[in-house]
Amino acid sequence: MRRPPRIALLGNPNTGKSTLYNRLCGLRTRTANFPGSTTEHQVGACALNAETDAEIIDLPGVYSLMLEIPESRLCRDCLEGRIADRRPDVALLVLDATNLIRNLQFAASALHREMPTVIAINMADVARRRGLSLDERAASRELGVPVIAISARTGEGIDRLREALALAAATEGPRHQPLRPLPRSEVGSREAVRWAADVFAEIASHGRGDADDTATLHDRLDEAFTHPIMGLFVFAATMAAMFGAIYWLAQYPMDAVDSLFAWIGTGVEAVMGPGALRELLVSGVIGGLAATLVFLPQIALLFFLLALLEDSGYLARAAFAVDRVMRRVGLPGQAFMPLLSAHACALPAIMSTRLIPNPRDRLATILVCPFMSCSARVPVYALLTSLLFVNAPLLAGLAFAGCYLLGALAAFVTAKMLRTTALRGPSTPMVLELPEYRLPSVRTALAVAWERALLFLRNAGTVILSIAIVMWWLSAYPKSEADPASDALRERAAVIASSAPDEAASLESEAARLDERKQQAGSFAGQLGSALEPIFAPMGLDRQLTVAVLTSFLAREVFTTTVFVLVGAGAEANGEDTSTLETVRTARRDDGTPLFTVPASAALLVFYVLAMQCLPTVVLVARETGSWRWALAQLSFMSILAYIAAFATYRMLA
Amino acid sequence: MVDGTPIKIPLSQLGRGQRAVVECAALDALPADHKCLLAAMGLGESCQLRVCRPGSPCIIQVDATRLGLPRSLAEQILVTPLDDVA
Repeated sequence: MRRPPRIALLGNPNTGKSTLYNRLCGLRTRTANFPGSTTEHQVGACALNAETDAEIIDLPGVYSLMLEIPESRLCRDCLEGRIADRRPDVALLVLDATNLIRNLQFAASALHREMPTVIAINMADVARRRGLSLDERAASRELGVPVIAISARTGEGIDRLREALALAAATEGPRHQPLRPLPRSEVGSREAVRWAADVFAEIASHGRGDADDTATLHDRLDEAFTHPIMGLFVFAATMAAMFGAIYWLAQYPMDAVDSLFAWIGTGVEAVMGPGALRELLVSGVIGGLAATLVFLPQIALLFFLLALLEDSGYLARAAFAVDRVMRRVGLPGQAFMPLLSAHACALPAIMSTRLIPNPRDRLATILVCPFMSCSARVPVYALLTSLLFVNAPLLAGLAFAGCYLLGALAAFVTAKMLRTTALRGPSTPMVLELPEYRLPSVRTALAVAWERALLFLRNAGTVILSIAIVMWWLSAYPKSEADPASDALRERAAVIASSAPDEAASLESEAARLDERKQQAGSFAGQLGSALEPIFAPMGLDRQLTVAVLTSFLAREVFTTTVFVLVGAGAEANGEDTSTLETVRTARRDDGTPLFTVPASAALLVFYVLAMQCLPTVVLVARETGSWRWALAQLSFMSILAYIAAFATYRMLA
Repeated sequence: MVDGTPIKIPLSQLGRGQRAVVECAALDALPADHKCLLAAMGLGESCQLRVCRPGSPCIIQVDATRLGLPRSLAEQILVTPLDDVA
């Protein structure tokens, strides 16, 4: 069977390449790694006509194919067949109609590769509004390849582009016959500029499609958005609005995800008899997936809103606004968005560090991202601050905010330390193209959110699900005999069941709690807790809290669930339930002393601000840095720092 | 212009709205990768530019491309002013 033709999508940044990709492929897209590399790219399926489906590879936007930067190298390697299993059959070049002189130079360098090529001149509608009309025939004649004027945003010219691609894919070998010789020197050289200007004069009817030179509104907006003070203020307001929207909007789908999994769990319990398989499905698979997928709405929303901001042209200006601040701690302005995103979840934040061109800057950002307080820490902060400041919501709120500040401070100090030691070296000065301001495309933003959600789901379905199952097994086995005290409680409950049903239910619940506690203590995880208790005792933890910390090693939010189960408040309890909090607050250790003393609670709080406690992040860091060395160094550093800080906090307050 | 010799000044010294031509060899002081990147972005030798925002970042317009540069980089790029501050 003939393989579908492979089309490589190439172009300068900000030419609407991603919009065209989404227009051609819709939702038929996935993120993949090139075989043998850790580099991700988008692959989509596109119907060229009734008979032909093509595979489109969306390569990163580059200013030149010859630059010695990872993105240019990746494009070269892909076009030359050094990565992926074969060379692309067709190159689809996307040029910006409003900036043709520069874009034509890029086209010339790509045409030198002598492979079947189709050129799409995007944003033809915008150019037309500026009085520039393009002659497609003249352009095809000049460049020797099919040239189609399109608007990826409105869909203008897309059908003709599909036809041209189908024809090019069916053609054997290159057919370039440019009217005038292509420039031999690189993009930006005088020869290339002169060649592009000559071609432009032939294919454009009048004007050069230049942006309005006066551009006063554009200038004023740039002035405001990059201003040292006003720029920071606008940025802070934008980010506050964005994160507020994420937390506010995500709560509804998060509740829905929660309810959906609870419904599935109840359904499975209803149709399956009791046993290990049911327990594995309900507690391991469904419970594990629910604990992870509940964050999916936040992640999808984060990327949707970020894509809108990026498409609007604002994000490039914001990078300059924060660049001054970030430089002081050795990070570039582009690091601010990943660090801010890490407040929702470190996983997408680390993935978004790919925007940072300098490898040292990028590595430093990856290594400090997990210090930012992610949403998984929120339940832990909520529980511990309310235990620390009983009936003092203002102080509890301040302590909550203090956790965020401590995390950010740790990130900045670590970044400074890294950039003056292990990652010492010059930073690349931040040179950015500032794209035109425009109304962002909701369609493109939805496609970005969809693609990121799929990637997260893939991780959740593999790595995170495996972790959840292992954790369930460690805490469920070996099975413990029922506690004799619980048997007695159940017997008493049976006696009074008819006369005092409420009290009987309470006794049943207490009996279940005792059994759960015995099971926790006797399980492999519990045994590990007892064995490791001496390590955590210096920061004020007993066996139960050691188990809670250990079970939360793979995912922080598990801490609250474990604590609620251990002290009998019930896993369904939440931090706002006063009676539940009261149960936790009055819980006792095996020796009868309070479980949560002020020094122990404060030490735990500091520990959770600074500790890594997220295995998926460790796995992702190893993948993104291409080595386990950095991932393990980061895990060790954060764990040791958290331990020392928690120990110091406990000693100061004890 | 002094004695027929065009005045060459760093890009960072231009005012808002001022136009200039990038000098030949004006980018030679830069590391090779910066020079190639700037040229590919449109800021090559002999190109004309307009300063949209002086300072840091220094925002310039070259043809239809608007670029933001840190002041440290703008100080290393020599240009010949074409007119006075607009």
